Amino acid sequence: MPKCTIDGKEVEFKPGENLITVAKRAGVDIPVFCYHPGLTVVAQCRMCYVEVEKMPKLQTACSTNAAEGMVVKTNSENVKKGRAGTMEFLLLNHPLDCPICDKSGECDLQDNSYGHGSAYMRHSEERRTYVDVDMGPVIEKNMNRCIHCTRCIRFGDEIAGIREMVAVKRGNNVDITTIDGEALKTEYAGNYADICPTGSLTLRDFRFRKRAWMLKKTASICEGCSKGCNIELQHEGNVVYRTIPRENLEVNKYWMCDEGRFNYHYTQDETRVLEPRWNNEKTSWEDSILAVKTALEGKKVLFLVGTDLTLEEMSAIREFTGLYYPGSVLQHFGTPGIETSAQDQPADKILKMTSKTSNLRGAEKLGIVPHNPRVDHDFSAAVVFTGGRAVLPELGHAIQVGVGVFLDKDHQTAKYQHILPGLAYTEKDGTIINHQGKEQKLKRAILPRGRSKSTAEILMLLANKKTKVGVA
Amino acid sequence: MLVKRKPAIWNRLYFVEIIQGLWITFKNFLFHKKVTIQFPEQRRDYSSRYRGQHYIKSVNNVENCTACMLCPTVCPASCIHIIAGEREDKEKYPVKFDIDILRCCFCGMCEEACPKDAIKLSNIYEMSQQNREVYEKDFLLEQRGNK
Repeated sequence: MPKCTIDGKEVEFKPGENLITVAKRAGVDIPVFCYHPGLTVVAQCRMCYVEVEKMPKLQTACSTNAAEGMVVKTNSENVKKGRAGTMEFLLLNHPLDCPICDKSGECDLQDNSYGHGSAYMRHSEERRTYVDVDMGPVIEKNMNRCIHCTRCIRFGDEIAGIREMVAVKRGNNVDITTIDGEALKTEYAGNYADICPTGSLTLRDFRFRKRAWMLKKTASICEGCSKGCNIELQHEGNVVYRTIPRENLEVNKYWMCDEGRFNYHYTQDETRVLEPRWNNEKTSWEDSILAVKTALEGKKVLFLVGTDLTLEEMSAIREFTGLYYPGSVLQHFGTPGIETSAQDQPADKILKMTSKTSNLRGAEKLGIVPHNPRVDHDFSAAVVFTGGRAVLPELGHAIQVGVGVFLDKDHQTAKYQHILPGLAYTEKDGTIINHQGKEQKLKRAILPRGRSKSTAEILMLLANKKTKVGVA
Repeated sequence: MLVKRKPAIWNRLYFVEIIQGLWITFKNFLFHKKVTIQFPEQRRDYSSRYRGQHYIKSVNNVENCTACMLCPTVCPASCIHIIAGEREDKEKYPVKFDIDILRCCFCGMCEEACPKDAIKLSNIYEMSQQNREVYEKDFLLEQRGNK
């Protein structure tokens, strides 16, 4: 492997790697704005200046490939001066509205200005201002804060596959906007806010709700589809405020779709069932468990597990049904029309899959067969386990028991005789298997809401022989 | 070894000691300036930097605060609770600005951290109350200081 020297350290590199990647491996962080590892290199912001020996002028590290024997200085006086100059130029027209801006706290411009810029400003002219276009329901735009890094333009072009953002006008008047001022059409619009190094593009959903530094972060997995995108749940005070993608080059690279990003909302919905219900009336866990046991006693029971549950939960349910309800049927359900992993295909060219639940492969691995509503199974009671994401099947007039996350507004909870509230994906640990067969871990971010219990606990209560059937 | 000695008769009478003590009392009573003041009528001058009751500075009836949340972040007692919102004439403003005054330790860090010159500690120190009061936004917007 060829070697080069960065700040006196010898680093090996693969031919074709740029200096930012190589320097990172040497433990040297080069400040960047326009460079993003998932996008093409344009060397537009001029922040990543480095000094290369035998080159007369400063070079941009993002567009300079490492070469054999190259000697790079990232901290010389010249480089510092160059970066300070760049910072001063970038801040010429940047409004000092960090107190208002949602990006502050996680803003590249703040960090780099603090690290490499000057604390004083020499210019006193009026700043350039813009009138902003409406960017649709996902993104809020503030062009005054923009530093023209064009990350958003490149993201739309190269990742989202739709060229919707453009730079119009030239020079000082450059305006980064959508074509004809239309709203964003891509289903990956949330990423615009993630990659924007300033507060120019921010999430409407998150607008003014919390400051970035107040949020606690939990690395988890998205349950929106079988892709299994790596996400970070950001929460505070037992409330999830947003989800952002985590880098995983094998699964989702740096991105996630809007469906997954805003999926967490249902777990905090006002109409979520948070207390055990018996014929649509609130009841205690003791009464509820006894009633369920009585209802299932001596019946042929159909157990349905949603493919949005974790492997651990499915396995516990399988064991439970085998031990306590022998002769019952155990089947899985999830997305209508997608019953096996062979039917689960990419829904677009980027990330989305057709299976809208996360753990279809896991259910198959445990040997659970898909539920077919067309085949009559001759059962008189059904227990439905769901994580809230799977589309609940029609079950006719049998006694129905629901375990898991149910919303009054769209899960038709009135049809269920009993509802035992379970945990949503933000509230539990577990393993899910994505469409590549990768096992990934869900991590609990917040504590269970209301009086909901985990599936394992509910099964334990149902299995407990001390709660005698018929006493209630 | 502990030797017990009886005090001299001079000391056992306590007479001289009492006279000496009373002399100090009378001296202070008659010839010294009083150190106390008649509080509600008379008041002391406090430093202009005194950290008393809070208020949010407003200019032309628009509060300076933009709900940037630096004061709740820096507050060591976590007594400030802000909910931010948006309205016509102000991009970001505090919909709710509560100071749990029982928790407040009057350290003045909120005033120091404020980038918008909004939260201030006035010179008012009479804050006794009969219930566990929380200062709400309307109360805080009363301009009770000149900082």
